[in-house]
Amino acid sequence: MRDKLLLLVLSLHRSQKYKTYKQFARNILFDEENVYKRYFDLTIIFLVISSVMILVYEVKYPVPQWLDNYDIYFVSFVFAIEYLLRLWVYNDLSEIIIAEYNDARFLQKDFNIYSALKTGLSQKLKYVFTPSAIVDLLAILPAYRPLRILRVFILFRVFKLLRYTKSINQFIDVLVNKKFELLTLLFLLLFIVFTSGIAIYILEAEKNVNIDTLFDGIYWAVVTMATVGYGDISPVTDIGRAISILIIISGIAMISFVTSVIVSAFSERLNELKDNRIVEQMNKSRSFLIICGYGQLTKMFFRQNRKHIENYVIMDSDISRVEAAKKDGYTIMHDNASSFETLNRFDTKNCDITLLCMTASDVENIYITLNAKSISRKIKVIARVNDPLNFDKFNYAGADETLMPGKVANTMIYTAITQPTMYKAVHAILTGKSIANIDEIHVHHSHGIVGFQIKDLDFKSSKLLFIGIQRGDEFIFNPPSSEVIQPYDILLVMGRKISLEYFKSMHEGNISVKK
Amino acid sequence: MKGISVSKNKVVIFGYGNHGKFIAKGLQNDGFDITIIESDKNFYKDAKSDNFEKIFLIDVLKDDELKKVDLDVYEQLVCVMDDEHLNVFLTLSLRSLFKDSYILSISDSLNVTKKLKMAGADKVIDLYEVSANKIYNILDRPVATRLLEGFVGSQDGITFKEMIIPEGSFLDGKMADDVDFSKYDVLLVGMIDEEISHSFFFVTTGIEHKLDSGDTIVCIGLKDKLEDFSEEIKKTENKI
Repeated sequence: MRDKLLLLVLSLHRSQKYKTYKQFARNILFDEENVYKRYFDLTIIFLVISSVMILVYEVKYPVPQWLDNYDIYFVSFVFAIEYLLRLWVYNDLSEIIIAEYNDARFLQKDFNIYSALKTGLSQKLKYVFTPSAIVDLLAILPAYRPLRILRVFILFRVFKLLRYTKSINQFIDVLVNKKFELLTLLFLLLFIVFTSGIAIYILEAEKNVNIDTLFDGIYWAVVTMATVGYGDISPVTDIGRAISILIIISGIAMISFVTSVIVSAFSERLNELKDNRIVEQMNKSRSFLIICGYGQLTKMFFRQNRKHIENYVIMDSDISRVEAAKKDGYTIMHDNASSFETLNRFDTKNCDITLLCMTASDVENIYITLNAKSISRKIKVIARVNDPLNFDKFNYAGADETLMPGKVANTMIYTAITQPTMYKAVHAILTGKSIANIDEIHVHHSHGIVGFQIKDLDFKSSKLLFIGIQRGDEFIFNPPSSEVIQPYDILLVMGRKISLEYFKSMHEGNISVKK
Repeated sequence: MKGISVSKNKVVIFGYGNHGKFIAKGLQNDGFDITIIESDKNFYKDAKSDNFEKIFLIDVLKDDELKKVDLDVYEQLVCVMDDEHLNVFLTLSLRSLFKDSYILSISDSLNVTKKLKMAGADKVIDLYEVSANKIYNILDRPVATRLLEGFVGSQDGITFKEMIIPEGSFLDGKMADDVDFSKYDVLLVGMIDEEISHSFFFVTTGIEHKLDSGDTIVCIGLKDKLEDFSEEIKKTENKI
């Protein structure tokens, strides 16, 4: 028996298929990237909602048999499978056994498969007692027909939806933070409810027709204390009324206290929650800008609104600048970009992140650059250099692009003086005025113009000026007309915006028309 | 030799600070006739030690002193003082004293730009605007930006050149579309057609242009190819 079990575990351990299946199940349950997860989630949500609707409907009206069967068997069956899947992928039982087996062989001691099994199973048991697992289990229970009371457990299916809402988790998070205050209040509340409940029971059970049991007394205490006062039970003796006065007053105090604790807990964490939301949004967008510092340069950057800059977040550690940015309507986080934790919250692995270091201090900019590069080399850093002497340091720090506002301005002034006509032209091109745009055509591998010769692409009739090709690190200026366009080339062309758009749309993706 | 027209070669630079230094040196290398005016003693000394000939140390806040320097003969007045307030005041003084001169000022924020424009500057270059522009361009079209950098920045690599079509050139009388510029490894970007107006046209605007002697054409290409081409257009016959 023992050997058979071990053999089974070993074959599972070696089976590639088993691993693929398990990974697939894992992806479908947890991986936000997975295409099927979306459908899986939608199915579960649909099942939950339909199940609850049937429950509500059947209170007053008869439900057809098939619908009842659907609700009781099919939905429960799917949920049961989901539950088992979650239990299955929670840990790798076979891996644990194999690991212990190898350890035992290494130490040359007897291998006890049952102890290894126990470790694995106790881990699974731990999962069974997590809140979400309990909810999942309760959601299956209504399938047990004989106990009609279990029908109410269908409501637990609604709780399954909580998995899909982050705000509830955040709410719970906030409450957990105030655990101490809330627990103290809860105990005080229980104390008052029980003492006054018992008191009213002792004092009035004889005289008051509405109070029969101790439960009646406690129920009355809670209803009175919460200032709800249904009025189904009310004190009849003077002493009973005196107790009522006391618990009503303490009730008001207590409830306002609880409210204020929760409100203050939220306002304390409001900014953090907002920031979390921003980070989440950014990570979802896959490609975004992080702009450090809200100064002149950043303001100017946003004024270049030729195209709407969508995915960005500004960071500044100065609260007055943060307020200013908020007033101007920008997305900003009050955070220090030079701290590891701040930048690490972004999904540096899967997202295209461009970091703009635009603060007025070189020390700060270098530090942010190094910080970003230490987290991931993939983060593209464009840094502002204020003092030309620090230029080399930025290169050592790994900045991808550097830019000196002073120098750029100087060059522009210089050009404006030496070549006034040209200045206008360059300025027009730089600022992307519609008459003269220099633009890039990025040729991806299935682009329509791959394999064409330059002469085949009639730039002239499209009113475009073809300047050259960027191929890898090399720029080919004015290539011969027989040059063949290769995948991943970047063509540089100049012309009016509409000509560019037209040219792009004409050649985008018409793969079939190859010469 | 790089000059566009002789009269533009006389430039006054107010301020020998961060920006003034760079601009003055660049202009001197290009053979401009420059005069530097400073009101700060230290910067004045800097300018002296950098071997500039015409340097004046005057209080730019006083109109009398400004009048003494005969600024009317200069084509361009460049205000690049390090202090923004001084710059605005100076621009205003210059505009009121010398109505016809061309004033170019530097600014470091939107508000200052507005003030300078109101004070009468002909051209205002915003320190951060050009940089912000550049960042935008780096993000939006990196290859094009690197090329454009070359146009205004470096001395070698691909750059612009303005050329006047000489009398009797083979280009004279031809339509711009009929000339194969790429043969010479240069590309025609635009031109100033003296027949139509004095303003600049990009070739890509789609209007047919006839090249005449006296027109200015602007080409891009490698620096030496551009030099070769500017020699080539002096010839009457197209030999290549």
